[in-house]
Parts: sequence; structure tokens; C-alpha cells
Amino acid sequence: MAASGDEAAAMESISKASVPPTALNLTAEPEHKREAATNDATENQKAKRPSNNNDGGVETAEEATEPAEPDINELCRDMFDKMSVFLQGELTATCEDYKLLENMNKLTSLKYMEMKDISINISRNLQDLNQKYASLQPYLDQINQIEEQVTALEQAAYKLDTYSKKLEAKYRLLEPFARARL
Amino acid sequence: MASSETQPRFGQSVKGLLSDKVTSCSGDVIALTRQVLKGSRSQELLSQAARNMVIQEDAILHSEDSLRKMSIITTHLQYQQEAIQKNVEHSKYLQDQLKHLMK
Repeated sequence: MAASGDEAAAMESISKASVPPTALNLTAEPEHKREAATNDATENQKAKRPSNNNDGGVETAEEATEPAEPDINELCRDMFDKMSVFLQGELTATCEDYKLLENMNKLTSLKYMEMKDISINISRNLQDLNQKYASLQPYLDQINQIEEQVTALEQAAYKLDTYSKKLEAKYRLLEPFARARL
Repeated sequence: MASSETQPRFGQSVKGLLSDKVTSCSGDVIALTRQVLKGSRSQELLSQAARNMVIQEDAILHSEDSLRKMSIITTHLQYQQEAIQKNVEHSKYLQDQLKHLMK
């Protein structure tokens, strides 16, 4: 009797732990629902007394349960809140990494936009400069011609200087003879 | 495993079993979350990306400095071009005078 009672109690506890009620524990099902009703209703806190039921020669017994604590709902809510806070914190770390990368990318893109503007200005200025230097090319050619002409003029001047010195030397040689004739 | 854990132990009430079960379930959820985050390798990849970005920053700053210097040099070239333009206008008169002299 006691052994069958223990087996029934074991089966009862198994049925209460697992989700689906089995065919063997049909007697426990209404009691389980009754327990849930008492847990929901905080006013009904009477401890259940073990009762023996005889059903076709099988003796069943109900385990004595303690009354539910009045703040069990609060505790559960607190537990789930803290669990959610913890999980949120775990996921926030990755989110913050993404935000950091996003900010870095935004700053880099701003810098590249500034560099793009600077390079556009530089290219425009260099194109204008190239055009202006192209327009100056005839003048630069003239300057080259002037330089060649100045060089030729300088050579002519040197030749003239040399000739005049020779002429002066000859005149000095011939001057006494000319004075003697006079 | 679950059935062995839920077997009533000698001297242990259903309440204790329930609290153990809740604790183990919460621990499993936490471990699962950590495993999911660890398996995704997001932390490693993101930190590596941030490190690479920091390495690149030096090159970007150097490039910006070079571009600013180029813009300054371009401005100087413009000033020089304007000065050349002014002086080149006198070369025509010089050439006429030289032609006259060479005659």
C-alpha cells in the first residue's frame, strides 16, 4: 500500500513537472488545475491536504503543497525584468560597436567630401593656369627671339669694339708720318 | 535528464525543485545568448574594423595636408602668372627696338 502510494506520488510529481498530462495521471489533472486556480487567487491560501482516492483498485494520493507566497507574482515580474535588462545589456554592446563604426564612417566621409572640394578647386585652378600659360606661349617665344637677338647684338658689339681698337692702333702708328708730311 | 532532475529527491520539496528548474532555465537562456553572440563573431569583426579605421586615419590626414599644400602652391602659381602677364606686355616694344637696332 505504502509502496503503491509512493509510486503514485512519484508519478504525480512527474506529471506536475512535465507539460502534457498523460493518461496515467488523469486523476491529477483536475487537482493540477485546482492548484493553478488557488495560485492565481491569492486569497485562497489553504494548504491542500493529502487525499486518497480509490479508482479501480489503484490508490492515488496528492502531495501536500505549501501555500503560494503573496508576492510571487512580483518576484516573477522582477526576475523577468532583470533577465530582460541583462539580455538587453548583452545586445547593447554589439549595438554600440556598430554605432561607433557608423560615427567613424560618417566623419571619414565628411573629411573625404572636404578633400573632394579642395581637389575640385585645385583642378579648376590648374586648368585655368594651363590655359593662361598657353596664351602666354607666343610671348614666351618672343622673349626667346629677343634673347637671340640680344645675343647677336652683343656679338656685333664685341666685333665693333675689336675693330675700333685695331683702327685706333693703326691710327696711332700712322699719325707721326701724317704730321711729318704736314 | 529532465525527468531525472524532476524526480522527487528525498527531503526536497516541489518548491525547491521548481526554483532549481527556474534557475537552470535562466542560466540556459543566458548561456544561449552568450553563445549566439560569440558564434556570430560580431565583436571580433567590429573591433578589427575599428582598428583598421584608426590605422587609416593617419594616411587620410596626410592626404588632406598634401591637398591643402597643393592648393596654396596653385595660388602662388596664379600670382606668378599674373606678374608674368604684366611684364610680357612690354616685350613687344623691346622687340621693335631691337629690330630697329639690328638694321
